[in-house]
Amino acid sequence: MKKLCSMLVMIVLITALVGCGESADKKVDSSAADEGKITIWAWDPNFNIAIMEQAKEIYLKDNPKVEIEIVDYAKGDLEQKLHTNLASGTTEGLPDIVLIEDYNAQKYLQSYPGSFEDLTGKLKHSDFAPYKVGLMTLDEKVYGVPFDSGATGFYYRTDYLEQAGYSAADLENITWDQYIEIGKNVLDKTGKHMLALDANDGGLMRVMMNSAGSWYFDESGKLNVANNKAIQESARIYKELFDSGIAKPTSGWGEWVGALNTGDVASVTTGVWITGSVKAEASQSGLWAVAPTPRLDLPGAVNASNLGGSSWYVLSSSKSTKTAVDFLNTIYGSNVDFYQDILVNRGAVGSYIPSQSGSAYTKEDEYFGGQKVYSDFSEWMQKIPSISYGLYTYEADAAIFGVMPEIYNGGSIEEALKKAEEQVKSQMQ
Amino acid sequence: MKRIKGSFKYIFLSIASLISVFPFIWMVIGATNTATDIIKGKMTPGLEAVNNVKMLLEMVDLPLVLWNSAKIAIISTVLLLLIASLAGYGFEIYRSKIKDKVYGGLLLTMMIPFAALMIPLFRMFTKMGLLDSHTAVILPTIATVFMIFFFRQNTKSFNRELIQAARVDGLKEYQTFFYIYVPTMKSTYAAAGIIAFMTSWNNFLWPLIILQTDGKKTITLVISSLSSAYFPEYGVIMVAIVIATLPTILIFFLLQKRFVEGMLGSVK
Amino acid sequence: MHRRHQHKRRKNFYQMYGWLFILIALVLVGLFNIYPVINSLILSTMSGKGVVYSFNGLGNIKRLFSDTVFQTALKNTFIFFIFQVPIMLSLALLIASLLNDKKLKFKGFFRTAIFLPCVTSLVAYSILFKSMFGYDGIINVVLMNLHVIREPIAWLSDPLWAKVTVIIAITWRWTGYNMIFYLAGLQNIDPAIYEAAEIDGAGSFKRFKSITVPMLKPIILFTSIMSTIGTLQLFDEVVNLTSGGASTSSLNATLTLSQYIYDLSFKYVPNFGYAATVSYIIVLIIAVLAFIQFRLGGDRDEKN
Repeated sequence: MKKLCSMLVMIVLITALVGCGESADKKVDSSAADEGKITIWAWDPNFNIAIMEQAKEIYLKDNPKVEIEIVDYAKGDLEQKLHTNLASGTTEGLPDIVLIEDYNAQKYLQSYPGSFEDLTGKLKHSDFAPYKVGLMTLDEKVYGVPFDSGATGFYYRTDYLEQAGYSAADLENITWDQYIEIGKNVLDKTGKHMLALDANDGGLMRVMMNSAGSWYFDESGKLNVANNKAIQESARIYKELFDSGIAKPTSGWGEWVGALNTGDVASVTTGVWITGSVKAEASQSGLWAVAPTPRLDLPGAVNASNLGGSSWYVLSSSKSTKTAVDFLNTIYGSNVDFYQDILVNRGAVGSYIPSQSGSAYTKEDEYFGGQKVYSDFSEWMQKIPSISYGLYTYEADAAIFGVMPEIYNGGSIEEALKKAEEQVKSQMQ
Repeated sequence: MKRIKGSFKYIFLSIASLISVFPFIWMVIGATNTATDIIKGKMTPGLEAVNNVKMLLEMVDLPLVLWNSAKIAIISTVLLLLIASLAGYGFEIYRSKIKDKVYGGLLLTMMIPFAALMIPLFRMFTKMGLLDSHTAVILPTIATVFMIFFFRQNTKSFNRELIQAARVDGLKEYQTFFYIYVPTMKSTYAAAGIIAFMTSWNNFLWPLIILQTDGKKTITLVISSLSSAYFPEYGVIMVAIVIATLPTILIFFLLQKRFVEGMLGSVK
Repeated sequence: MHRRHQHKRRKNFYQMYGWLFILIALVLVGLFNIYPVINSLILSTMSGKGVVYSFNGLGNIKRLFSDTVFQTALKNTFIFFIFQVPIMLSLALLIASLLNDKKLKFKGFFRTAIFLPCVTSLVAYSILFKSMFGYDGIINVVLMNLHVIREPIAWLSDPLWAKVTVIIAITWRWTGYNMIFYLAGLQNIDPAIYEAAEIDGAGSFKRFKSITVPMLKPIILFTSIMSTIGTLQLFDEVVNLTSGGASTSSLNATLTLSQYIYDLSFKYVPNFGYAATVSYIIVLIIAVLAFIQFRLGGDRDEKN
């Protein structure tokens, strides 16, 4: 009898538990059908998510009936979810708005035709940095709302460089070879590495290539690796950075970002979105400055480049596309004050040009010794050579960094890049 | 000579234990330090613990997330134990040629990587209207072939005379299972329960795909998204990892004795 | 006659009843394993970008032969398999036989400590290891202080050391798990056998070789098949150890087959058909390896 009782208890327990799961599900279904609800997927709680939260707050003030849910995922996780949802052919699980990295834009647009809302004419794309708009255009239709800029700068520690005998003027508009020379002196005089570099990360190579207006592919999307002067040069500089001893080897993101705050390195050359991470170490206030990005020693190369950056896209399957587009247009496509806010609070440089004459952009930043860093960045942003990333950026990146160990070990750059090119070719169809 | 050998044994086991436990110590120390200290390999406890916990609570609805994880893990463990033990018992006690073939087929399915099943599974669950539900997280995990195998192996040591006796006493077959088999196999259930609970609590890929809203997320998903920040707060992440690991450690300690006994049956 | 008939009917009745016990599991496995498997088999004859795909026949299989990334992944997976599985299993076996000593003190402590890594989630322990094996991380700090190395090792980015790190990580996570199986198996061996051997003058290594290993053969077979499956499906560890933030770090040296499937679906231009083909290659390899292990480990009946 006792056993029978305990059995019954167990069965009741299971049904109750399962039941409670079911009832919770139904609740969600009913709310998803509500017209005025927008779901947004993004990554990075300190940056994209926090900025979106702010946008939501502003929008809800004037549109109290709309409901906005912002969901935070790791970047890789988000991409995987998006692919799974789009590939499954069922649209129920998709959000209304999603953040997509610019390198991936064409890939999504071409792999899932009809899944993203055509926004041509629905907001004033001419107000945004032209290179951003180009990346989200397919067959003359514009699909996204440009968000943050990845305009790059050469962030450096003024104290270390001074100690090595350099003033701000010495660091303006230099080439990478000059940068290496400076780095050697810094290492000599201060014992500090000039930069932190992950030997397997293609980020810096993309900065170098882009400054010369070049990419893994040409404008027509044809593979251009083996005979690409910009890639050959970048590969040579990567090797030189390690060989000269000025690069502190790091592995993984956390370590690389960490090197900035520990005072181990004298500089970092990357996208403006790093500003928040640099400033995270309050004790180094006043010790940093930003110079233009070093350039490749090639004809046509400029001292401006881009790394990363992402944009917002509206899914066609959304039941509230109108609200979603209105939301993005109201905040990201016309609210200049919002851009001042996110610049001050999050260090986010938008690609919305009218915002860049705002007060926050022309303010002196104490952390950077009173430099007007953001007006500098928006100036550099106008100079970024416009290129098209094509579909296979990550395939090419992986292929090249697959052969980089050979180059590091003294192998021929041409041979190695030829091998990489063959590999990418087999992956393109 | 013998004494040297004896002390070698202790030294070896101590080193092995130290290596095994060290990352746990590291994570507890890390929870009291800042991100910079962790990257620099600082081995001593810091003063950031309270701050880290505060930051975590600000970023995440921790009670909800833990409740989600617990609910999923408990329900799937209970259901998995029931279903897998029924099947393991069925395959072993009512053995026949066809059943053995079916069983062999089941074992083969263990070889398929989950990546290959993901998209069809996702499509199926969306069609069933179960997207973003904990039911969808639980369902594919309650028919784990490994667990069926585990119960079948353990059933080999179950005394069949008990079944005969039960039949003579007029017990129905299912009664025999519930009143005689289940109470006898407590240790097996404990061992399987620990493994099932840990697997479910730590499950990552499938919940990631099927859950869509913040309110449904599990602790493992939260840890993954915390570590993706452009400026990852390692101290906060370490706190989250400590909290996420505690329940599984606790359950293991509570059921440890039974666990070893239960594993014993699986290898007879 | 009548009685025999009744007996047969009884037997049939029990046979049918047996199916009832298995039924729920079969339905669930059918729905959530077998149906998707068939689905992805069909998918493996397709190729294209995302949802824009068409029938490709055996084209995907042909592509495998010219795909150097696939070949790298295959090679890496085998390296992990060849080194990691034997190291882990022999460690587990060694520890288990040491712990099986009745006179051993602190047995419970050792056993618990060595099993402990199994309670961590793959996500959590990957983050832990990433922070420990960094360039300035605690491992390098300790090794430098002990003067084992003169300059820090790039554990996570050097092609060779990255492989070593992955092997260390998996071994840390799973040795205790396998040890428990061996420990359970050892407790089934009658201690009298060991005592008899000791009286005959067999040393401890000889006892290990001629008693422990043969008696545990079925369990060793079982654990090696489970580990083979685990290694060939190796994914979470390598991904989590090398990714994160806005990093696009791509380390060819640790790329595994499962990771390549993931990349083909979620990192590169998505080709789900080709990804399905690669996953069938994994199934094929596991099946072949399991068959070989069965052959080496003695016949099937011994196991049952």
